[in-house]
Amino acid sequence: MGRQTDPWPAHARPAFATVRDHARVAGESFYFVSSRVGASLVIWLLIGIALALPGGLYLIERNLTGAMDRWEGRVGLSVYFEPGSGSAGAQALAARLEAMEETERVWVVTPEEALEEFRGDTEVSDALDLLEDNPLPASVRVSLAEGVPSATVSRLAGEASADEAVEEVVIETTWLERLAAIAAAVERLGWMLAGLFGLGAALVTLSSVRLAIESRLEELRVQKLVGGTDAFVRRPFLYLGIIYGVGGGVLAAVLNAAALLALEAPLRTLLEGYGQDLELTGLDHIFAGALLGVGALLGVCGAMVASRQRLRGLEPV
Amino acid sequence: MGSVAFRNVTKRFANGHEALKNVTVEVDEGTMAFIRGHSGAGKTTFLRLLLGIESPTRGQVVVNGVDIGKLSRRRLPRYRQHLGAVFQDAHLLMHRTVFENVALPLRVTGVGKRDIGRRVRPALERVGLLEQEAYLPVFLSAGERQRVGIARAVVNRPKVLLADEPTGNLDPHLSRDVMRLFLDFHRVGTTVIVASHDHGLIESLGMRVIELDHGTLAGGRG
Repeated sequence: MGRQTDPWPAHARPAFATVRDHARVAGESFYFVSSRVGASLVIWLLIGIALALPGGLYLIERNLTGAMDRWEGRVGLSVYFEPGSGSAGAQALAARLEAMEETERVWVVTPEEALEEFRGDTEVSDALDLLEDNPLPASVRVSLAEGVPSATVSRLAGEASADEAVEEVVIETTWLERLAAIAAAVERLGWMLAGLFGLGAALVTLSSVRLAIESRLEELRVQKLVGGTDAFVRRPFLYLGIIYGVGGGVLAAVLNAAALLALEAPLRTLLEGYGQDLELTGLDHIFAGALLGVGALLGVCGAMVASRQRLRGLEPV
Repeated sequence: MGSVAFRNVTKRFANGHEALKNVTVEVDEGTMAFIRGHSGAGKTTFLRLLLGIESPTRGQVVVNGVDIGKLSRRRLPRYRQHLGAVFQDAHLLMHRTVFENVALPLRVTGVGKRDIGRRVRPALERVGLLEQEAYLPVFLSAGERQRVGIARAVVNRPKVLLADEPTGNLDPHLSRDVMRLFLDFHRVGTTVIVASHDHGLIESLGMRVIELDHGTLAGGRG
């Protein structure tokens, strides 16, 4: 028995027909979005905010990690003496520490220098003038050589605190450990928020696309009547999802840039207090591209779910 | 390639109503046939089964030797691309021009822009609406809209043309014009099946008649 001929052969599709149809549908989707600027802007903002929050946390985590990396090998000690004990004990300890090969730089901060530093860093100089005595102690600051192991740091701190006039020894690695813990917490929070807000962005697209489908239901029924495949009928809404997602990604990048710009000045002041230069990183073309890509992906996912839900049982007129 | 056969077809809806009861009828390729009957006789269900919108509860609806009820979801659109359908309400897209409405079946099948123009304009010329190609349907009369619907149904050169009360909203003069168009398509070999309750018009054309009464085949002519 010979093979039966297909009674309804596919119509011959010219070369690039699919590409041309995609281009046409993309153009129509752009027109649909641009003809409803107000509503589209609200959708972009919602998606943009949802993407900007985890994106911002990622930037914070990346910059904290970068700051810690730059601090590597510059671990130090601050040795604080009893108030009123004078600078002689500090000078003697500094001389002892300077002779050790583990130290790179040792310097004494006298009570007078500490007061001047405090006066410069705060706006309470008038209140300080009212004090009869200088309440600040002398201190010794130690910058250790690169690669000094933490056990050596602890031994040096122990030796310094053995001096009876020493009130407190602060190891700066403690500060770094806290910073590392904060960075880890921020990273975890970032992932959690990325999941939650990513879902939120997809849901925003889903609702928006669903509304667009409802508004064009009659047209979709006619398309099905004349033989439109599910892919053909769904295509405009997938483009709509991409446009909403990419637009949201662009807004998220702008929001993140604005937030970094606003934080730059106070962060610079903070880091200068620790002898560090500010070097904000992360907001580059790769980050912006990733935001756009994630936005587009979430948009397509939301649109896919919406169109599958709504178009599954849709019958022609 | 336009033969149609109903073999012991029953269609019962979810509410228990039986729109068609054990209907067996054949329409040969190239035939023009009218499905006649009162309101609720089953004419629309007959056409919806042919379009694959509904599936028979029992029996087979066979077009070109293929059981439509067994067509997969993937193949159904391609089958519809080879049909033309006209309704009482033309179901035009009101925000698209006459040209764009007629071009829709060609866009669905991926016809190129130049070829769309080459095929839409003759279809519009055939129904006498070439000069109105840039109009929105809202500016057309009921008869003109129906003719746009017919142009859309035939632009893909279907083997089978189905029409459900195509003259229901038209005055007698316009009804005769529309029927003349169907006769023209029949003459070039298209199988044409028209559901109508307009006895006068059907009798005047002298074509095959399939009579339905409360979902059962009640006879006919031809």
